[in-house]
Amino acid sequence: MNGRRLAFALALAALAAPFVLEGNRFLAFVFGIVMINLLWASGMNLLYGFVGLMPLMFAGIAGIAAYAMVALTREAGWSFWLATPVAAVGAALVGVLLGLPSLRLKGFYFTLCSLVIQTVLTLAFTFFPRFTNGDTGLNQIAPPDGWGGVPLAGVWFDATLALVATLGVLLSAWIVQTRLGQRFIAIREDDVLAEVMGIDVVRNRIIAFAIVSIYAAVGGCFYASYVGFVSPRSFDVLTSLGIWLCVAFGGRGTIIGPIIGTVILAPIPYLLQELQAFKDVLSGVLIIVVTLVMPAGIYGEIMRRRALRTAVALRAQAAGDPAGATATPAVAAMPGTVDAGVAR
Amino acid sequence: MSDATLLVLASTLSTGLILGAIFALVAAGVTIVYGCVWLPNASNGQFFLLAALAAWSLVGVGWSSAAAIIGVLVLGIALSLLIEWVLVRRLYDVPDRNVAYFVVTLGLTQIMSGIFAMSWGLWSDQFTLPPLVDGITMIGPFPMTNNRITVLAIALVVLAVLFGALRYHPYGRALRAVFQNREAAALRGVNVRAIYRLSFLLGSSIIFLGGMLFALAYSFDLTVAWTMSVTAFAIMIVGGPGSVLGALVVGMVFGFTQAVVSIFASPTAATFSYLIAMLAMLLFRPSGLFTR
Repeated sequence: MNGRRLAFALALAALAAPFVLEGNRFLAFVFGIVMINLLWASGMNLLYGFVGLMPLMFAGIAGIAAYAMVALTREAGWSFWLATPVAAVGAALVGVLLGLPSLRLKGFYFTLCSLVIQTVLTLAFTFFPRFTNGDTGLNQIAPPDGWGGVPLAGVWFDATLALVATLGVLLSAWIVQTRLGQRFIAIREDDVLAEVMGIDVVRNRIIAFAIVSIYAAVGGCFYASYVGFVSPRSFDVLTSLGIWLCVAFGGRGTIIGPIIGTVILAPIPYLLQELQAFKDVLSGVLIIVVTLVMPAGIYGEIMRRRALRTAVALRAQAAGDPAGATATPAVAAMPGTVDAGVAR
Repeated sequence: MSDATLLVLASTLSTGLILGAIFALVAAGVTIVYGCVWLPNASNGQFFLLAALAAWSLVGVGWSSAAAIIGVLVLGIALSLLIEWVLVRRLYDVPDRNVAYFVVTLGLTQIMSGIFAMSWGLWSDQFTLPPLVDGITMIGPFPMTNNRITVLAIALVVLAVLFGALRYHPYGRALRAVFQNREAAALRGVNVRAIYRLSFLLGSSIIFLGGMLFALAYSFDLTVAWTMSVTAFAIMIVGGPGSVLGALVVGMVFGFTQAVVSIFASPTAATFSYLIAMLAMLLFRPSGLFTR
């Protein structure tokens, strides 16, 4: 199956799923959560997989937008559909502001800096309760209004989320193959070389931050209105790490990878509701396994094996050697397979 | 000044000294490992808490505090060896390993906090260790428990020994050589991988000791792990990654900050100020104050 057909099939499956799951409210809810996480993961993937920065303040930006959206709808009486774009643009500005450190930092220092920013944001959500109601959180957040003034609910809300997530993934797939996306990849591979080749690294990183913040913000607004409750814990560093894990586990720097990762990992917290602490242990183990054992993720691993098989077959064909065993060592260094480097 | 003011001042001073010494100890442990192995241990707070909780459990089954401290140190070295063998060793030869290590220790943090929540968190929510020594000494007009004096003395002695050993002992010199230039050290006959292992063991043991000293001086709960992680990282970044002197000086400063802030605001305000200090440092001088 080629990419276009696969994308079409997946989009169709996502849009059909809410109607299939209509009978089971719990599964439908988990599906909606997975869709929100999918939107987040495809945004995180743009920055982590394609620009090569690990933004641990991702959930904090989503939180800012969610709180802004709630304030705008509750206190100014705006509609969700007006408040969300405004919150998203605001969050993009904040994201660019918070991303400014990346102009000087990369690698570990950038990641640490983003972790510090995330922690500051979490503390700020807790200790400035004017808009956040502190640790207690905000509840009874109204759902968006649907057609004819009826609040969006049930299967139509799920379908909306599926549509938003699908558009998000498609948008990221489109961005990646534009010249902008190619510049991102050049920066990820070697930012000094990219600079020398005439790519404005700073400018492109700022653009990436703006785009990714919009993903985070839109996801945050939908999360708040879908779950109906947000607290500082909804947007803390564990949320950021969870989204990162979806990307890294599935396969960073690919479009299909984050989808695989999200579909496998995002439901786990809801299926293990009774075992919160066990969930922490599990995600910790997964983080370590992904980093040490398979840095390219599940999809990267599949690609590597497929490339290996193809290369072996090609070599065997060329040499007239049906066993193909002699070709194996050369394949390991073959370009075009996924780089086995550790998380940058 | 009235007597009450003086008493507050004296207690602030002693708290600042003890906290500062413990902060410096833990930060020195973190910074040695980072400077040498390039491993930023984000789970240092969990290591710190693990040692304190393990000591609490050993005391609970009838050990004395002194025996528990030694027992936990032995267990801690075994655990560090295990972690080194299973996790740390795999990335020794990767050039950009500090991000990967950072992520791995974030995972370790989640695992350990999950385990704590499922075990000790269910048994109690406040923990204390019985004092190492009983009695009270009057320093001038101010009382101070012998226990806290002992804790302070142990922390300062360990810091002094650490500082001296890094400077003069052959292992310490080899360690600093690897700090400065791995290839050159290897050329001069230093076994780089052995030094990596040694510094990971040394750094972790110091963190474990710091946790138990804290538990002797103060009662604690599970949230101390998070606070300690933030504080130790802030000290390391502000002092300069890899600089033990920086860890000592900045650790002391942060300890006094914590003691002063705690008088008129919540301790979280102190943590907040460390975060801001770390952020400012990362933005304007990522190499820290004390690096040459």
